[in-house]
Amino acid sequence: MSASGAAPGRRAARPVRSPDTRARRQLALMLTPYLIGLVGLVLVPALVTLGMSVTDYDLLRPPTWAGLDNFAALLDDPIFRVALLNSVVFALVAVPLRVLLALGLALLLHRRAAGVGTARTATLLPTAVPEIAYGLLWLWLFNPLYGPINQLLRVGGENGLTVLGRTPPQWLTDPTSARAGIILMSLFTMGETFVVLLAARRALPRDVYEMAAIEDATGWDVFRRITLPLMAPVLALLAVRDAVASLHFTFVPAFVVTDGGPPPYATTYLSLFVYQTGFEYLRYGYAAAATLVMMLLTVAAVLVQWRLIRRYRRFYQV
Amino acid sequence: MSDGLVLDGVSAAYRDTTVLHEVDLSVARGELLVVLGPSGAGKSTVLRVVAGLEPVTAGRVRIAGRDVTEERPGRRNVSMVFQSYALFPHLTVVENIAFGLEVRDIPRRLARERARAAAETVGCAGLLDRRPGQLSGGERQRVALARALVREPDVFLLDEPLSNLDLALRAEMRTELRALHDRIGATMVHVTHDQTEALVLADRIAVLRDGRVEQVGTPDEIWRTPASSFVARFVGSPAMNLLPADGPLRPRGDAPTLTDEALLEIGFRPEAVALDSTEGTPATVDRVEVIGADAFAYLRLAAGQQVVARVPAARRPDRGATVRLDVRWADTHLFHAATGRRYQP
Amino acid sequence: MRGRARGPSPLPERAARLWRTLGAVFVLLVFVPPLLLLVSGSLTEPGLPPSPTPQLVPEPLSTTGYERALDLGGLLRASLNSLLVAVVAVPLSVLVAALAGFALARIAPRVTAVVVAASLVALMVPATALLVPRFAIFRLLGLTDTLVPLIAPALLGTSPLYVLVYYLAFRALPADLYDACLVEDLSPLRTWWRVALPLVRPVTAGLTALTFVLTWSNFLDPLIYIYDRELFTLPLALRSLSLLDPTNFPVFLAGAVIAMVPALVVFALAQRRFLHHDDRSEG
Repeated sequence: MSASGAAPGRRAARPVRSPDTRARRQLALMLTPYLIGLVGLVLVPALVTLGMSVTDYDLLRPPTWAGLDNFAALLDDPIFRVALLNSVVFALVAVPLRVLLALGLALLLHRRAAGVGTARTATLLPTAVPEIAYGLLWLWLFNPLYGPINQLLRVGGENGLTVLGRTPPQWLTDPTSARAGIILMSLFTMGETFVVLLAARRALPRDVYEMAAIEDATGWDVFRRITLPLMAPVLALLAVRDAVASLHFTFVPAFVVTDGGPPPYATTYLSLFVYQTGFEYLRYGYAAAATLVMMLLTVAAVLVQWRLIRRYRRFYQV
Repeated sequence: MSDGLVLDGVSAAYRDTTVLHEVDLSVARGELLVVLGPSGAGKSTVLRVVAGLEPVTAGRVRIAGRDVTEERPGRRNVSMVFQSYALFPHLTVVENIAFGLEVRDIPRRLARERARAAAETVGCAGLLDRRPGQLSGGERQRVALARALVREPDVFLLDEPLSNLDLALRAEMRTELRALHDRIGATMVHVTHDQTEALVLADRIAVLRDGRVEQVGTPDEIWRTPASSFVARFVGSPAMNLLPADGPLRPRGDAPTLTDEALLEIGFRPEAVALDSTEGTPATVDRVEVIGADAFAYLRLAAGQQVVARVPAARRPDRGATVRLDVRWADTHLFHAATGRRYQP
Repeated sequence: MRGRARGPSPLPERAARLWRTLGAVFVLLVFVPPLLLLVSGSLTEPGLPPSPTPQLVPEPLSTTGYERALDLGGLLRASLNSLLVAVVAVPLSVLVAALAGFALARIAPRVTAVVVAASLVALMVPATALLVPRFAIFRLLGLTDTLVPLIAPALLGTSPLYVLVYYLAFRALPADLYDACLVEDLSPLRTWWRVALPLVRPVTAGLTALTFVLTWSNFLDPLIYIYDRELFTLPLALRSLSLLDPTNFPVFLAGAVIAMVPALVVFALAQRRFLHHDDRSEG
């Protein structure tokens, strides 16, 4: 401490910050484990992908330089092109359906009534089931012979035909049915989106709806003119998020239920392609190149999301 | 004299805006200083700078003779009652009060004992096992006081502690707070924007405006000899009337010698106005507000200036009536029109 | 005239409630049957020819599926492995997330902005995109075929989202509380432990449950890191069980039920935290 109290005059105007190094050091320490995780499990792997994508590498022999060969090969690889197309189509079809379903459920279940609480829980149950168990369940449900879905479709029919006299869908052997099946599976697991939308709907100001009631607006008007515009930002962000997540959550269904088939690669998505290339054919460099494509798709989505946030921010002047 | 707290040329800034400009203040040991000012004057910043929650950009802070400018809050031996009380919702009342002792490693039993004693002092001994969520506003206030009390700090800082209470409770707590101070004789700095609270509570009042100290003085001094027109108008309700000194109104009695009337303003409180004279300045009654036994008559002079007069409700003038108003020189204050500072003849 | 009432649709309030209940029943009828079928399928006698009509209660009721699943699939051993991973990873993960979230709420704003932005980006990267490089790294470190890669995500708080949730929760606490702690000379660590953490207990409960469900269900990581049958976790063991005899569905459905139950129980315990916070009253 300096000789205090001696000088009555003004001191030079220098900022005196209480230098509580103890507090700052502790806070930094508290953040460190997470930063290690963030760098070690996300940042470094992302950089490693970049490095690996320009090599031939089977993890046994040292990697050899391949330049852009992997990317050139990807362009020519029909399986990759199919996988990319499948992933994009899945995102374009399944994601809107998932978000719409979640929105519908959130609007249906956002207010209290008998049974609503139970229904909310039920909506989340499939999301909480371990992916692999969920996949095995559908493997059985879709089974053309033993599966309950086709058993149900055959009720009333004869000789294994439906009541209309048609053969029930051969879910896992017909390309279109298989794709539809995987989309159907994914619809039940939109729990996270549902939770966010439920919270978003509850956060909407009540007086706006009371105002609408006083103006005698119909339910459809209220939905179109109030609910939808107010929830649009959340919906847009969730859709982008879900599109990115779909790169990931298509893996287990395709891996367990359809095994990427039926031919020709009807349900081989990017995630499955990367897994098979890397871990089944041991072409890690090639897989890294495909991973990089996946990351580019993600970056594009993040940019879209960022623009959406900025736009809505200006719109609502948050 | 023994210093409880000294602020020596303290400046503070929030982001790039300076909120305190070289504030000098000293609080004697055992004194209750009220910092009074409108919102945005920097009152709370004064407290936060003393507590160390806000850094100073210049100047020194001394508590009990010790320079604490660069000490962290916990090392300054101050305690604070926050406007929101900042009681920990997950702790019971006794745990809340004993918190500051227990985290300083005072044995639990001793801490609880002292907490109980502090609760006794502020009259919340019956609430010890409840949680803040179960308490009324007044009860929370008491618990917050007890928590501040229990550590026997060098300085108590109270940040508008009464502002969340309803009117009746506020008056009651005001009296109790003053009694508490007299009983324990602690050094206290109390921040408020309520001039009545300041006048009732304070040993001395520091009036703050735009981050500068406008005047420091006893409640009497603040009331009788306001150092500026700002202080004069801020303390007192309705505010003091201000008219140009060379204007339409001429007070009665012995006039002081005025050097340059055109540059002066004349101020007088509503209660200094008499309406029953026969001479006086003529004015029209714009409107009348009756508050119990008193009435405030809002008058308009011929030149358009407004004057408020306090009259007994029973003898209030009618709206629209013409009255003659009178003020004695003895009841007036003079201020420089340009600076607002008090003019001493 | 509807203007007099308070609610949005006042007069037909009863009717509206009835409609909502009907809607809820419909939702239940859609979302619950798949899981009921799973249980019913697992209780079917293995090896019987498929019944011509769907049965909700199988005839005869049999637990043979469960016995075989435990026998053939080594599910007991796998459950222990899964439990071991969860016991280490879940508390560690919640701890990391809670510490980091608190630090973000209290550290210099510039640091917070950078870390939050990085977390949002990390959140967007699909897990499968990091599969290959992470594998290469763990392989380099000689940690493949151990349980370490399964526990490692705890360093991320399992998901950066959970760190952000903690950050928002800690930031939402009144600033006066933190100031009061400063006046009482509490270090950040003690402020976190004695004041902040007890005040966000519901968040901790919810996140612990979600972390458990995610860790317990993790299939992808074991799939690429674990080859030794002794180290198989439950999801992986379940997968190999299903490959053993894909037509013998009661056996692998029984395994699926065994894997599902702990996740559902924990989830059911926690779900009211984030589903039913209708009327929170502030203390």
